[in-house]
Amino acid sequence: MHLWQATVPFCLLAAAALPGAAATAWGFTDATVAVQPKGAGVNGGFKEQLAASKPLSKPISLFGADTLRVTLTAQEDSSPKRPDQAFLLLKDAQTGLDISYPFNVKDNGKSRVELSQKDLPIQFLSLSGPVDAHIVIGGFGSSDAYDNSVFKLSIDRNPEEAVPTVETERYGKKPEIHHIFKDSASSPPIVITLAFVAMVGAAIPALAGLWLFLGANINHLPSAFKSAPLSHATFLGSLIAFEGIFFLYYTSWNLFQILPAMAVVGAIAFVSGSRALGEVQGRRLAGLR
Amino acid sequence: MRWCLALLICCLAVVNALSSSGSRLLAILEDTEQKDLYSTLWADLEARGYDVSIESSKSEQLALFKHGERAYDHLLILPPKSKGLGPSLTPKHILDFMNKDGNILLALSGKTATSSAISSLLLELDIHLSTDRSQVVVDHFNYDTLSAAEKHDVLVLQRPGPLRSDVKAFFDGEGVLALPRVAPQTLGDSALLSPILRAPATAYSYNPKEGMPAAEDILATGSQLNIVSAMQARNSARFTVLGSVESLEDKWFSASVKTPSGKKTSTVNREFAKQLTAWAFKETGVLKVDKVEHRLATEGAELNPSIYRIKNETIYSIEVSEYVYDKWVPFDVPGDDALQLEFTMLSPFHRLTLQPTHRTDTSTVFSTQFVTPDQHGIFSFRVNYKRPFLTSIEEKHEVTNRHFAHDEYPRSWAITGGWVWIAGLWSVIGGFLAFVIVWLYSAPVTDTLKKTQ
Repeated sequence: MHLWQATVPFCLLAAAALPGAAATAWGFTDATVAVQPKGAGVNGGFKEQLAASKPLSKPISLFGADTLRVTLTAQEDSSPKRPDQAFLLLKDAQTGLDISYPFNVKDNGKSRVELSQKDLPIQFLSLSGPVDAHIVIGGFGSSDAYDNSVFKLSIDRNPEEAVPTVETERYGKKPEIHHIFKDSASSPPIVITLAFVAMVGAAIPALAGLWLFLGANINHLPSAFKSAPLSHATFLGSLIAFEGIFFLYYTSWNLFQILPAMAVVGAIAFVSGSRALGEVQGRRLAGLR
Repeated sequence: MRWCLALLICCLAVVNALSSSGSRLLAILEDTEQKDLYSTLWADLEARGYDVSIESSKSEQLALFKHGERAYDHLLILPPKSKGLGPSLTPKHILDFMNKDGNILLALSGKTATSSAISSLLLELDIHLSTDRSQVVVDHFNYDTLSAAEKHDVLVLQRPGPLRSDVKAFFDGEGVLALPRVAPQTLGDSALLSPILRAPATAYSYNPKEGMPAAEDILATGSQLNIVSAMQARNSARFTVLGSVESLEDKWFSASVKTPSGKKTSTVNREFAKQLTAWAFKETGVLKVDKVEHRLATEGAELNPSIYRIKNETIYSIEVSEYVYDKWVPFDVPGDDALQLEFTMLSPFHRLTLQPTHRTDTSTVFSTQFVTPDQHGIFSFRVNYKRPFLTSIEEKHEVTNRHFAHDEYPRSWAITGGWVWIAGLWSVIGGFLAFVIVWLYSAPVTDTLKKTQ
């Protein structure tokens, strides 16, 4: 369709070049475009002639509360005539937006349209580049209609003012969301941990050294085992078994597994402990302790 | 016996070789004598398997519902000249028909004023006609010079491409359409509405009886004027508005047209009518979910469990088919679009694109793998795929996302920071045992004490 429209001016040229071609064509003359800033007089601001054949090279800026005015005289084959359609058509190629503003046309073909930013749909205010301003002149019957870009209109705004936007809900894909996980628990560096483990481990040799310095010994072990071997062995064994049960509870057993084991070991420790401690008491009464 | 069964299945297949939602089509003409104007359309519809009944809107026994159920699956309404469509086709009846999943194709004509009943029906759907309801679209650039050299009211347009880059094109193709005397529609701002064919930028509408309107009376120009528009309700029932009923006539199915700048070509109205009726009556753009599966990403995991744990590696897959004229085919997501999975509790924690991983003869399997969020609660796997021109997919599967159980945490020896405390514990135990032995068997150190005394 773009191609079609691009071919229209060529067809017009071809029609003009061929003497036999009878088709008439719409066009315009005496066209001006003016931008009038707010508060300036009628002739204040920018004004430029428009040519039907060639668009203006520079974009025209429509800033804030300025008013854009386009005037022209419509013609059908060089004679002024009132057309059925005279539009100022704004088109944005990137987004595909288009909107037309009809000219106020007099019977002698003199036409005029005024436009300010508040007449524009909100979607036009947030465009990145300038839009193409076309003049469309056409009518019923066999005359070829005119549609060409005559200038580029740049819709500028005060950068400090917020661009009004419009919220429209359309079905489409939404941005992806990836859950952000909380950081997992972390340990201090292994070197620091090992240093403190070494300090804790050093407490046992330090305690043993202190006791040995104070004269701790196990000199009564042979005599104790001679007088009550079974009770001493089972008492010590049950104490070690307690710790073994705790170790199993820590690694794999549950409470219901350790409770019966504790009951058995506890009974053994109670019976054998009272015998073993009786032997210790015997040594004390004998004056050995 | 077996071939009998095969024949039966074959017959069923032939009978079903059409719309995914039934074959009973009711065409409403005010004057049933006009039906010969559209004989090719009826023949084409019947050839595609529709059971077409043509009724006059004035008919006494006409009823859309029987015993509270739809008596027809689809409704094709040609524009009436009188004020309304009669007592059995009030806007309320037609909306009830849509609410019960019936599809409607409404044709308008710019030749005569549109009836007020139809205008108020369209208003219910946020589709607007001009206030005088008798506007016609003209375009001095894209008109047929052969049939409308003076009035320019027979538009010659290309078939529409995709609406957006992420929307599938159902109405595209080569060739031009001739659209005589189009009654334009403008659309409200609703996600359920989508334009199918828009007027070119240079087009405008006017009332032929009044001539060119004053500048301030023009409501819409150019591509804001819709020639064909569609509304797909939340229940996926379709309402299609065609601005030019004449484009369905036999005359325009095989007409030759010529634009001011183009060559003489024949129209593809017949092909477009097929695309349009096929979409309107759910022969195209219908999606179906065959299967939804989710499971842990481990080998041999249970399918569709009702409970997951936080931080579980999970696989979700969904099997989707699309109906194209007479069969289910694998569904392909359009280029810029994505089928997305949400893992939601109140709001989505994950929204991920589902990738096609596997194709069967009739469906595509889309799947994705993700880690469940570190938040326990009742979550759901949601696929909410609503797109213009496609029936909506809304799948919601609720699962529990539980916390770690007490025996699922790492053990304390695996945490290096805990080693100091473990070493402290065992050194206390070792010290206790050593103390017990020393206390039980140590002899008093009398010698040295005596010496010092």
